[in-house]
Amino acid sequence: MIASLYRIIVIGRNTLTEAVRQKVLSVLLIFALVLVASSVLVSQLATPGLDAAGLIDEQIKFVKDFGCGAIGLFGFAIALLSTAQLIPQELHNRTIYTILAKPVRRSEFLLGKFLGVVLLVALAVALMSTAFGLSLYWEEVKGVAYADSVYGGMAPHFPQVVDKVRQYEAEAAQVQAHGGDSAAQTQEMRALDEKYRLQETNWEGCKNVVEDYDRDVGRIQGQIRDPQLIEAVLLIFAKLIMTTGIALLISTFATSSIFTIVTTFMIYLIGHLESVARDVWFQRGAEVSIWQSGLLGFLSLLIPDMNSFTIVDEILAGNHVPWSHALNLLGYANVYLVVLLALSIVIFDYREI
Amino acid sequence: MTGLPLRLRLHRAFLIALILGLWAPAKIVWELRIAHAQDRLRYQGVTLTRQLRDQLGQGLTIGVLSGMRSVVADFVWLEVTVAWENEEWFRMGGLINLCTALQPRSITFWDMGGWQLAWNASVAATKDLSLPNQLRREKASRFWIERGLAIYKRGIENNPENWRLWADTGSLYEQRLGDYRTAAYYFGEAAKRPNCPTFYERFPAIMYGYGDDDRASYEAWKALWERLTPAQRAEPRHESDRIEQEIKRLEQKLSIPKEKRVFPN
Repeated sequence: MIASLYRIIVIGRNTLTEAVRQKVLSVLLIFALVLVASSVLVSQLATPGLDAAGLIDEQIKFVKDFGCGAIGLFGFAIALLSTAQLIPQELHNRTIYTILAKPVRRSEFLLGKFLGVVLLVALAVALMSTAFGLSLYWEEVKGVAYADSVYGGMAPHFPQVVDKVRQYEAEAAQVQAHGGDSAAQTQEMRALDEKYRLQETNWEGCKNVVEDYDRDVGRIQGQIRDPQLIEAVLLIFAKLIMTTGIALLISTFATSSIFTIVTTFMIYLIGHLESVARDVWFQRGAEVSIWQSGLLGFLSLLIPDMNSFTIVDEILAGNHVPWSHALNLLGYANVYLVVLLALSIVIFDYREI
Repeated sequence: MTGLPLRLRLHRAFLIALILGLWAPAKIVWELRIAHAQDRLRYQGVTLTRQLRDQLGQGLTIGVLSGMRSVVADFVWLEVTVAWENEEWFRMGGLINLCTALQPRSITFWDMGGWQLAWNASVAATKDLSLPNQLRREKASRFWIERGLAIYKRGIENNPENWRLWADTGSLYEQRLGDYRTAAYYFGEAAKRPNCPTFYERFPAIMYGYGDDDRASYEAWKALWERLTPAQRAEPRHESDRIEQEIKRLEQKLSIPKEKRVFPN
């Protein structure tokens, strides 16, 4: 068992090394990094003339959408191109004969190759996610600077006003921390307010403007430092790995890389409509013939539901997606992957090389 | 492959059928559960219809089918900005509808879309000298306000838990339609939603005041005062001083009997 695992890891490592050396994949990765980073520039096209919070909301949405879109798109290209070449290249170079002549099972060879691609995709996603994180950080810096300039324009000596309100907030927190009965606390708070009112002519205005500033900055930071973005990247990765599994399965019986690429792409597209096919299949109204129903049922039973993973859009739109739901999707992807690998092994085991 | 003996072929076919036979029913059940959970969590989104496909064009449709729905929606949104700059209001309205159909849970599209129509398009209509008279300009302006309002209301239907769309609708009723009573209702609903800024809790009472409905304003201030706990009243953000002042002022103005006053002294 351990020896088998070792052989899989060795093949996986070599596959990764070979893939990293391929210029096509490196170029793709560079393009991906450039696109993720340039999402900051695309965000500049957001509607001008809005209030600070509205404009920044729109810009952040653009950066998130383009960043995650680029990870998904280029990750898909890298996963597909690298998997499609795995077996045909080995056959073309005749290296597969040397490997299989050694005490290496076909299943180990296949799993090792798959592991290599998974590592490659993981590496690409990690790099693109880092670029995405940096883009978001830059967007935050830009957003906070913009809020500073907007509020600075609204209130003269804004930094001093902020300092004063912070000082007031610290003292107010101390009053509230003392406890005691609420009437006494209210009195103390009023006295505190009076003290600051004497120092600042428009004290209520100062407090309001700082409250608005804090709210806008909090809104920017809340959208950018959203921990749910980790969930989004994991779901994108799971979808990419499923695509890798499909491509591997097809490449076990395909005779050319092009066939694998085209077929996987078609399955990927159909996968986004699988839920529609499933719904129509279940409804089986009078308008669906038996042949159509049979075809839709066949597709529903075989093709993975890729559309469920578009839940990433919900995360990017700032909606809460519970971890339990994300884990359910990740579990689905993993089990599907096991099935795809099992099928690949069965087909590859019986293939005449 | 052609040379594979029949026995091995059958064996392979049997194994494939076995794996698929075991997996396929489980797959369908699992997927239905996921779909059900997504419906329950309101993530259903929209189905790509023929009308949507025609509006998007071939390239963007492939984008949607590739799981790039949000990126496609952003591209369409950039067109909204272009249409706004060119003052192509009907085109802009159609594109806003398209964006909101693609991403019904993205608040930004509803928020900005309603603003573009109810403010920008309607204000432009009041200045449109191609229309023969002021009455027609006002009518055109009203048309765009109604379109903006429809966007906000559809946004609320899709995102009832989001305070921003309730507050936007309240602002529209207040600033564009002068309907303070309805504005008070929407601001009140916004204040009930999570993460809503505290000051919105005072807006219903203020709106009734704008509408010269002192009795309703008094009731709203009183209800707010009673809703706040003593600890909350001590928090500066609730501005209890202001609430107290307003209640006292209205008690005086409405000649509320002393025994019924919140602040009898």
